Amino acid sequence: MTDRKIATYICGGCGLGDRLDLNQLEEIARIENKSDIVRTHDFLCNSEGVSQIRKDIDDEQVTHVVIAACSRRAKTGAFAFDDIAFTRANLREGVIWVRPDSEDMRETTQDMADDYLRMAGAEIQYMQQPEVDRSEDSNKKILVVGGGMSGMTAAVEAARAGYRILLVEKRGRLGGTAASLWKRTPTREPFSDPEDTGAGELIALVEREPNIETFLNSAISRTSGAPGRFSVDISRESGGTRTENVGAIVQASGFTRFDAGILSEYSYPASADVVDQHELEELARSAGGGRIKRPSDGKEVASVVFIQCAGQRSEKEGHLPYCSGFCCNASIKQAMYFKDCDPGIDTNIIYTDLRTPGNGEDFYRSAQRKGVTFTKGSVDAVSPESDQLNVSFTDLILDEQTAVNVDLVVLATGQVPNSGVSIELEDAAEESDRNAKTPDADQTAEVPVDSILNLTYRQGPDLPHLRNGFSDSHFICFPYETRRTGIYACGPVRRPMDIAQAIDDATGAALKAIQAVENAALGRGAHPRSGDLSFPRYRKEGCTQCKRCTVECPFGAIDEDEQRYPLFNEARCRRCGTCMGACPVRVISFDNYSIDTVGQQLKAVDMPDEFDEKPRILILACENDAYPALDMAAHQRREYNQFVRVVPIRCLGSVNAVWVTDALNAGYDGVMLMGCKKGDDYQCHFVKGSDMAHDRMGKINDSLQQLQLETERVETYEIEITDVDRVVELINDYSRKINEIGMNPFKGF
Amino acid sequence: MNDNNTAMIDKYRNSFLREVEDNVEQGEWVKMCMQCGVCSGSCPFGPHWEHPPQELFMMIRAGKRDAVLGTESMWMCTSCYNCVVRCPREIPITHIMHGLANYAHRLGLAPKVNPTRRFAKIFWDNISKNGRVNETSLSIKLYFMDGYSAGVKRAVEMANTGLGMFRTKRLNPLALISYKGIENPKQLQSMLKKAREIEGRRKGYPG
Amino acid sequence: MTDAVPTNETILVVGAGISGVTAALEAAECGKDVVLVEKSPSVGGRVAQLYKYFPKMCRPLCGQEINQRRMDASRRLRLYTMAEIESVTGEAGNYDVSIRIRPRYVNENCTACGACADAVEAEIKNPHNLNLNAVKAAYIPYSMSYPQRYVLDPSIIGTDDAQKAKEACQYGAIELDMEEATVEIKAGAIIWATGWNPYDAAKIQPYGYDRYDNVITSLELERMMDPSGPTGGRILRPSDNREARSIAFIQCAGSRDQNHLSHCSRICCMASLKQSTYISEKYSIDSDATTTIYYIDIRTIDRLEDFQKRVQADEKVRFIKSKVANITEDRISGDVVLHGVNTEGYQRYDNQHDLAVLAIGMEPSVRAGAVGSGIAGDKSGFIQADANNGAIFGAGCAANALDVNRAVQSATAAALRAIQVVNGVAATEAGS
Repeated sequence: MTDRKIATYICGGCGLGDRLDLNQLEEIARIENKSDIVRTHDFLCNSEGVSQIRKDIDDEQVTHVVIAACSRRAKTGAFAFDDIAFTRANLREGVIWVRPDSEDMRETTQDMADDYLRMAGAEIQYMQQPEVDRSEDSNKKILVVGGGMSGMTAAVEAARAGYRILLVEKRGRLGGTAASLWKRTPTREPFSDPEDTGAGELIALVEREPNIETFLNSAISRTSGAPGRFSVDISRESGGTRTENVGAIVQASGFTRFDAGILSEYSYPASADVVDQHELEELARSAGGGRIKRPSDGKEVASVVFIQCAGQRSEKEGHLPYCSGFCCNASIKQAMYFKDCDPGIDTNIIYTDLRTPGNGEDFYRSAQRKGVTFTKGSVDAVSPESDQLNVSFTDLILDEQTAVNVDLVVLATGQVPNSGVSIELEDAAEESDRNAKTPDADQTAEVPVDSILNLTYRQGPDLPHLRNGFSDSHFICFPYETRRTGIYACGPVRRPMDIAQAIDDATGAALKAIQAVENAALGRGAHPRSGDLSFPRYRKEGCTQCKRCTVECPFGAIDEDEQRYPLFNEARCRRCGTCMGACPVRVISFDNYSIDTVGQQLKAVDMPDEFDEKPRILILACENDAYPALDMAAHQRREYNQFVRVVPIRCLGSVNAVWVTDALNAGYDGVMLMGCKKGDDYQCHFVKGSDMAHDRMGKINDSLQQLQLETERVETYEIEITDVDRVVELINDYSRKINEIGMNPFKGF
Repeated sequence: MNDNNTAMIDKYRNSFLREVEDNVEQGEWVKMCMQCGVCSGSCPFGPHWEHPPQELFMMIRAGKRDAVLGTESMWMCTSCYNCVVRCPREIPITHIMHGLANYAHRLGLAPKVNPTRRFAKIFWDNISKNGRVNETSLSIKLYFMDGYSAGVKRAVEMANTGLGMFRTKRLNPLALISYKGIENPKQLQSMLKKAREIEGRRKGYPG
Repeated sequence: MTDAVPTNETILVVGAGISGVTAALEAAECGKDVVLVEKSPSVGGRVAQLYKYFPKMCRPLCGQEINQRRMDASRRLRLYTMAEIESVTGEAGNYDVSIRIRPRYVNENCTACGACADAVEAEIKNPHNLNLNAVKAAYIPYSMSYPQRYVLDPSIIGTDDAQKAKEACQYGAIELDMEEATVEIKAGAIIWATGWNPYDAAKIQPYGYDRYDNVITSLELERMMDPSGPTGGRILRPSDNREARSIAFIQCAGSRDQNHLSHCSRICCMASLKQSTYISEKYSIDSDATTTIYYIDIRTIDRLEDFQKRVQADEKVRFIKSKVANITEDRISGDVVLHGVNTEGYQRYDNQHDLAVLAIGMEPSVRAGAVGSGIAGDKSGFIQADANNGAIFGAGCAANALDVNRAVQSATAAALRAIQVVNGVAATEAGS
């Protein structure tokens, strides 16, 4: 703090000079904000203005810069300074573009601008340029868990980019499920015939690749650390453990077969001639391109029916509610096993919706050309009849109940992710254990699931599951978003998929692992605050070991040390500030974002007294959705109330209750918290910030009531980035409401 | 729908599909149908079909031999080709419909009282006699195919049209008495007979 | 953004839709130098025209905001807008690329204040809204344009309007004599992420897109749903601007059709289901708006199945298994009449609707053959991975018919393939 030299630059462009009293702003910058340098420029973002700033940084050793001009989202190319701490007072989108240009409004418009400059001045006083935490001994090795197609692909692709790989496979051989397939669905034009699986080729590549070290019959028995410094115990089945350090992890733990045993209506496993797709692959492999024989008596199969969606897309107990996606193509492929050998064999695929997206349509047509027949129908039962199987079904086109007799029935069952322990289920189980233990609980208790990674994290041993047990990303735009930084799932553990998709997916995951080790070495944050060099620090002497930060961190970044103090793993951290928001004693902060950088801003606002009839409303706006929405409202010159003061925040989860109580104590008449959508389809890029804020503010309501303040004085909103009209309406409605309620009685105390 | 006409053994097995592929013109396209129904919706005679084309294709796959070959449906086809140009699988549906009709007819399974089928037969007899269509005798045959009084009634109804055609030399009443066809119709007839024999032998048609 | 000179270790990304932006950012965040080239005046591409994403019903602009911040933060990325690839020569690890940059007539001094747009009178069709409305000829492409800079339509250059725009700008941002420029760069690897175009609906003659006002495409509907779109979020029939109450969706419009696109475009089932929820919710107060979805197969793979079940439970949405045969127009009401057969049990229909929406198929914007001679493509023109492609990699919908999530996966994978090449170049150069 000793060498702090603050410079403030006030722009007069875009009408700022016409609408605002810049001299007054200069005075505030100089006197109230204690800026060492104050300059006004009539066009700050042009090269001359920017080079003036640059010159002051270089020649005058300016360390802290306030730019009072447009929104922090505007002219980002011009105002980019990596070597100093800087903030921006939003006078354009935040003030003159949302207020009418009229004489009677001039005073309140100036008030707004003055306040924003004061706020920026207060913020910069408490802001530091984050220290770069480059770690010289950061580890760039990548651990790949799972030696199937996904894992091998991730290993080979990362190795080809020059990274060292540890590849750990549970079984005694590489290749996973793919190695037990006869063929795979085609991946290339003309997409007409089954292709070689490619597993053998890939195994050979793995074995040849000097950058890959393979561990067979091995599993991960412990994972601790953070990106750039994970410590992993690799345990052999036969005993013996090796501890390795790695920088990032790709989890390609694949899937297990759906247990068709519950499909007794299809005579599985009662009849040996009812098989699932995996068993058919085995039959095809042993036939080696020749005639496939049925398991019961070795008779060559002359007729076969494929039942799609067996135990899938169904709400029945024990069934999979989702569609595994690959199985239509897989059945088409398997029907070709028969047809390619002898076109005289009858192959019938019974489906409800045939799902062959993309070039799968070519494969579908090719199968029809080969004489595979397709029947839109729903199968009720499969039962043995003389030496055949009777498949009874409804033909949905001919609208009749009917049946067919065949030698073999193949059930197209789905993929079940091998995703380890479900943290959510574990929590729920603990909960129900505590509540009521039913007498037959032991009977229904499921077989304990083995963890894949055995993370020593406070928040559980595996990647959190999204839905149906898959370790997928919640986000559409960011499929590699992970809630455990540095650990990336790929292949069927993330989503049901076929080999071609798994290969693409694994290549992407390999890139993310590489990115994680590179970022860790530079101390940079990952998505969504890419490149952020700050990370949370805490004042140990103030900490009460309440564990809220460790529990609430959406990314499991905070462990507890032996003395039960929080242990921050900075490279796991995503810089959202949820821990800071959670801390009841306010000991957690970032260099460039802290209790003070926000707290002092809101206190810096000039608070008119009760009789001025100038209420003050504080808006804490999520920087990703609400703040851009406000900007866009400004671009459209939408007008909103002159008494609001907006502070952008990283996430509603970072809002510490003290800001709200401080605001009310300081005399604000209302506080609007604007976060993003919560709930199952949450849009918070820090997972549960909005949810938590709603929770925490619920608690604040109690305190408000104790203080005999109206609960309406603090409101929480879900705002989408496109809610341009709505955000303006909300502000204006809220302002009216505050007018009705009246001024905050604490004003002036 | 009645499912009794198909033996259990043949249901949804490919025996009838193969029979169609082997014996019906363009029959090998039947298996390419994906049941979208655009053909059925595109047919101008659609409402009159007992089983529209896409349904016939499904019935063939389901092995409903008697129902398919005995239906009047494919005799409804007017060769407008709407279905063919719209079919996303480029299936020559019009040709298959005629092929199915022809096959049913050859097997003696076609419906006996279907007007389209009767017209087709009259037309064929007419053209194969002289090698050219004798429109006058064709019209007379058509008018009177349901008996004398129905024929007179129809002729009276159409009298004005007939007169008009006569005036513009489109219809020659003398053709009833003497019609000059191709030079050697006997030759044509023996060619057709031979072709029919070959086809019948190859496809195993009765007689 | 960077000022570094592109070298053989630079990765060139063509197309700044979500795939291109992703590929560029993922590579840049691995420490690679990237040049990103975009044809239009702003990044964003096709997804910027989408109102919401399925199945989360979230806003595409939300992810774009994050990606724009990532671009701001990246010191390894250089963006050229209004730029197209003119030629590529060379080989893997050593490409010479010539980039043609069309004049924007607005330089980086632009503060996006909008004075030029106020001054200009001429209007052009608004490409962001698929020409459904008009915009001033000095315009910012859409609310979240990046870079946030205006552009002058070439049609006004040389007119009084252009002069007015220039005079209105206080910052010297308008350069009317700006000319087309060509930039030559080096690149070690090239990611082609040029995305997709909707199939030309007019080619599907029986549906009369070119003849009937009230036959629109799914993309046009998407623009209508957007509150900032041409109709302010209302679904208005083009014939009479009346709110549509009975809306038909025709699936596989162009897709799965040997006469048009032989592939399945993958996204259209979910797109229609998504749009049907908008209709149900948008008009839920009046509760008389209905949706009918005409389909061959509903293809909602993996957890998207949940979404289908949700829509199927909505009694305001009807499903008919049928490829619609043709559409006619009721001359008096302007209604569309859909003709066809429900193939589940053979029921013929002639259904009258206010509006028919063609769930239009996807074709690559740039076919593989046009990317470069010898670049492998499938018969639809999507780029296929191939050893003979050198270090030219397809990403996103340039490579396959993909939804957003899978396109981003594809782009991330492409970034690594490109990195492998440039790391190889770096290793060779370090060794030599």
